[in-house]
Amino acid sequence: MGLAAAKNKRKLGNDPNNTKWSRNTDSFGHKILRAQGWQPGDYLGAKDVAHAEWHTEANSAHIRVVLKDDTLGLGAKRNNGDECTGLDAFQHLLGRLNGKSDDTLETERKAREDLKRSLYVEKKFGTIRFVKGGWLVGDQVKDSPDEGAVDPQNESDSEAPKSAAEVAEATEIAPTKPNKGEADEDDARKDDKKRTQEKKSKKRKAESEAEADGESAKEKKDKKSKKRRAEAEEGDGEASSTSRRSKKRKDGVKVIEEFAQSPSAAVSEAGGVPDHSDCAAETGKAKKEKKDKKRDKTDKKERKEKKRRKESALETATPTSAESNLTTPAGSGYSTPVPAGSSRYLARSRFIAQKKMAFADSAALNQIFMIKS
Amino acid sequence: MAFKRSSAEREDTQDSKRQKTNGDGSSTMDPKQNPYLAHQYEDDQNGFKSPLDEFERHKTTAVQAAKAEDSDLNPWTGLPHSQQYFKILKTRRDLPVNKQRQEFLDMYHSTQILVFVGETGSGKTTQIPQYVLYDELPHLTGKLIACTQPRRVAAMSVAQRVADELDVKLGEEVGYSIRFENKTGPKTLLKYMTDGQLLREAMHDHEMSRYGCIILDEAHERTLATDILMALLKQIAERRKDLKIIVMSATLDAQKFQTYFYNAPLLAVPGRTHPVEIFYTPEPERDYVEAAVRTVLQIHASEPEGDILLFLTGEEEIEDACRRISLEVDDMIRESDAGPMAVYPLYGTLPPHQQQRIFDKAPEPFRKGGRPGRKCIVATNIAETSLTIDGIVYVVDPGFSKQKIYNPRTRVESLLVSPISKASAQQRAGRAGRTRPGKCFRLYTEKAFKKELIEQTYPEILRSNLANTVLELKKLGVEDLVHFDLMDPPAPETMMRALEELNYLACLDDDGELTSLGSLASEFPLDPALAVMLISSPEFYCSNEILSITALLSVPQIWVRPNNARKRADEMKQQFAHPDGDHLTLLNAYHAYKGAEQAGEDVKKWCHDHFLSFRHLSSADNVRAQLKRIMETHGIELVSTPFQNKEYYINIRRALLAGFFMQVAMRESSNSKVYKTVKDDQLVMIHPGTVVTSPYDWVVYNEFVLTTKQYVRTVTNIRPEWLLEIAPNYYDLETFEKGEIKSALTRVAEKIRRRQAMKGGK
Repeated sequence: MGLAAAKNKRKLGNDPNNTKWSRNTDSFGHKILRAQGWQPGDYLGAKDVAHAEWHTEANSAHIRVVLKDDTLGLGAKRNNGDECTGLDAFQHLLGRLNGKSDDTLETERKAREDLKRSLYVEKKFGTIRFVKGGWLVGDQVKDSPDEGAVDPQNESDSEAPKSAAEVAEATEIAPTKPNKGEADEDDARKDDKKRTQEKKSKKRKAESEAEADGESAKEKKDKKSKKRRAEAEEGDGEASSTSRRSKKRKDGVKVIEEFAQSPSAAVSEAGGVPDHSDCAAETGKAKKEKKDKKRDKTDKKERKEKKRRKESALETATPTSAESNLTTPAGSGYSTPVPAGSSRYLARSRFIAQKKMAFADSAALNQIFMIKS
Repeated sequence: MAFKRSSAEREDTQDSKRQKTNGDGSSTMDPKQNPYLAHQYEDDQNGFKSPLDEFERHKTTAVQAAKAEDSDLNPWTGLPHSQQYFKILKTRRDLPVNKQRQEFLDMYHSTQILVFVGETGSGKTTQIPQYVLYDELPHLTGKLIACTQPRRVAAMSVAQRVADELDVKLGEEVGYSIRFENKTGPKTLLKYMTDGQLLREAMHDHEMSRYGCIILDEAHERTLATDILMALLKQIAERRKDLKIIVMSATLDAQKFQTYFYNAPLLAVPGRTHPVEIFYTPEPERDYVEAAVRTVLQIHASEPEGDILLFLTGEEEIEDACRRISLEVDDMIRESDAGPMAVYPLYGTLPPHQQQRIFDKAPEPFRKGGRPGRKCIVATNIAETSLTIDGIVYVVDPGFSKQKIYNPRTRVESLLVSPISKASAQQRAGRAGRTRPGKCFRLYTEKAFKKELIEQTYPEILRSNLANTVLELKKLGVEDLVHFDLMDPPAPETMMRALEELNYLACLDDDGELTSLGSLASEFPLDPALAVMLISSPEFYCSNEILSITALLSVPQIWVRPNNARKRADEMKQQFAHPDGDHLTLLNAYHAYKGAEQAGEDVKKWCHDHFLSFRHLSSADNVRAQLKRIMETHGIELVSTPFQNKEYYINIRRALLAGFFMQVAMRESSNSKVYKTVKDDQLVMIHPGTVVTSPYDWVVYNEFVLTTKQYVRTVTNIRPEWLLEIAPNYYDLETFEKGEIKSALTRVAEKIRRRQAMKGGK
């Protein structure tokens, strides 16, 4: 615990668990229970009953509780500053030593890189949001891919879990160079793109490596989460195949779409299109049809993800700046958001804009300089 | 007995009816002519022939029953059905359970114990008891049908609903019975009751002989009383083969129930639920309240119409979140044309009229065709199962709830924020799919869901102090506590502690048998310590006052301390403050309340002005009347010391010790704020809500809680001499560990001895 960490002092008695009492086998309770045939270490309850298979620790000793007096979310660990950082470089090696197959190592590495890249873009430029614009089936744009001859449902279905990383790639590129995003999800071109991206990523890596240590810790965390996400998606895929798909046969595609989007942060940018048959069409449309109602759903998730990102990015920063994000919602009317960590920029740019406006307005200027016209 | 007799008479009438149809009406003295029995034959006077007459018990079919339900005259009362009845009947026929009525009856006929699973919205709570009613025909046997509910409100409202559905008056054919209210009559055939109430009845009727069928509803909630009832019914079912038992659960993991009841057959009815999409966060949240607020705002900003349900842990957190959400939404409306949003808090201690507001319709859009309005309910986990709010489409679940847990070693009851269970998380998500497909946003990762959450919420029996339960079990005739066949046996230490406490309270003798005091104490629906205090209060000439204090301690806090007027509330409380402690302060407030009532003041306003909860005070009044009745039936005197007597408060303080001598703490050292509990040696502080300002050396406390620190709450100053005098058994200095408390008590004992010697010398 560093000096700056929150103090958490608590005075404890000599025997906070009162083991004195629990060790005392002469107590009245002990006596009565033993008289009725109980042995220390036994469960209470009828002997040899079928439902005993469900008995847990809680049936043998009282339930232990942890005093929680903060608002740390479920699963979050308080960073005490003693976490190892900078282990990313060794992940490959460590994974190999742990006997992971080359394939998984490769995917993990890719995921890590994707994340790093997306984080970089996120931090540097923010992300552009897109709006769902239907499916290009043949040469017509339709609302759902079902109508077409091809059955992309199955395709996207099987791909959904795996393709998360790929989708992420596509989307990472989109904000910086929308032309890239145009790329179809055709396998051939995908490979192409990957190559180009890998090249790029190397450059970026160099950049990002120059970044502070704290950040790399963050990234590491994110990487882990990426893996988790992949897991999550697999899980979801299964779940949907059992319960939901049966119920929502018709909406199958939608469900999958949303699954693909929601847990994976990066995906959101491209409007979570599982097969990006017409990314270009979308980017085009996106700017025109901002008030399309369909936007809502995707938008929502994007923002959510964005906020999360921002949060995670800001985790090291002061909570006040995190809060200020709240008051400046991402949907400021532009699909290109203000760069993350931006509340200051935002305020400044507003200020500048106001100034500019004032300068342009002669009446206002007169007022400022107190010139009577 | 009364029931058996009346049923015999009823059978007679049916015989006579049959005779009449045979055209042999003028036989001997027709009991119908007897004016004294006229009220029993109203049916016949209308010339009413109930379709039920053709029913054969345990051989009815769904078609038969449906026909009886469709008839113009009510088969149970003989009166014509109202218009409303047929309207309700139509909706009842649409319920998912209705499709499986025949299947249910077949199964019901074939088995003694049946496990029934129906998700929320299947209609099981209202329909199954009625199906049983049409098959069990309790008017012929005189054996009632009981349906238990974990909550009083549920028992009352469901009984009302079923009375409407059957087109009868509540309290006649259909009634309910809860702790402080019994709305049943001699005609009652179907009785909704709290599980605790059925347990109390069983204390006097070990065989539950009044009942022909017992339905345990909401068994998945695993309340203490339901758990004990299950174990008890399992035993009774062996002895009474005519008793039918239905265990109803809302969750699909009914396997445990089946196994427990000797592999009882299972009937499952799908609920009327829509799919719910589940979203996790990719990363754990740093601050779940913050994240929850943001998620709600995002939903409002971008999701289509539909209400939001957000689960948080406690009153303060909820009020805070409500405030923040409202503020942010106002901003959003001002800046970006968002729809209106109504934010309602919901927690147990909220007054009912405010709880009702959650059922209000979502606000209208600001203008026609504008963005739709929605409501957002910020609730504790009472919205998880107990309350059904329609229109919820989005659920936000941070994954925490406040849970009560008892530690038998330190005897602390803690109410702490802890992670929910997987089952609970699924229940919460399910709330989103009541009206249409919904979404559930979980503010934790899927990994956390899988790894950090336990499978099932711990049943209450594993989380409670069992002193009261053990006393009840003893009274129920359960001798062997070790091998009592509970579904989830409690930890042995918890059981030991309960036995030990009861032994010190003299409710159990040294062989573990119920004493007469214990038997008397079990008559009171109170914790044993409170009951013993009440029973022994006449010895201290203050049973009236102790009765009031007991009632005040069995209702929620009567002090109201709104966030925006804390200071004024504290000042008001100071008006009632008694320097010797909180128990006496409570009593003062109660006396002032009664005084205001007698002076004909507007008590509601008076309470509001004095920052007291009218609701809790009046319910304390109600509890007091109830307890008084029990005291009177058992011949416990109601006495008071005259108020002018200077012993008035001293007597009360001494009487407190008669029940709470095990809950005493001594100050660790002078000018310290830390106290040490007697025997358990736990370090505690006095809860800041106390009126006690001067630091007393010895205090008796009502409860020991663990919130952010270990606190004792509701404390009163006492003198150590009293301890040795009132509870010599517990304060047997031989049994004390060496330490400050022992030496302090030894000094006191020494002093007493010297004083006595002086008196003797005179």
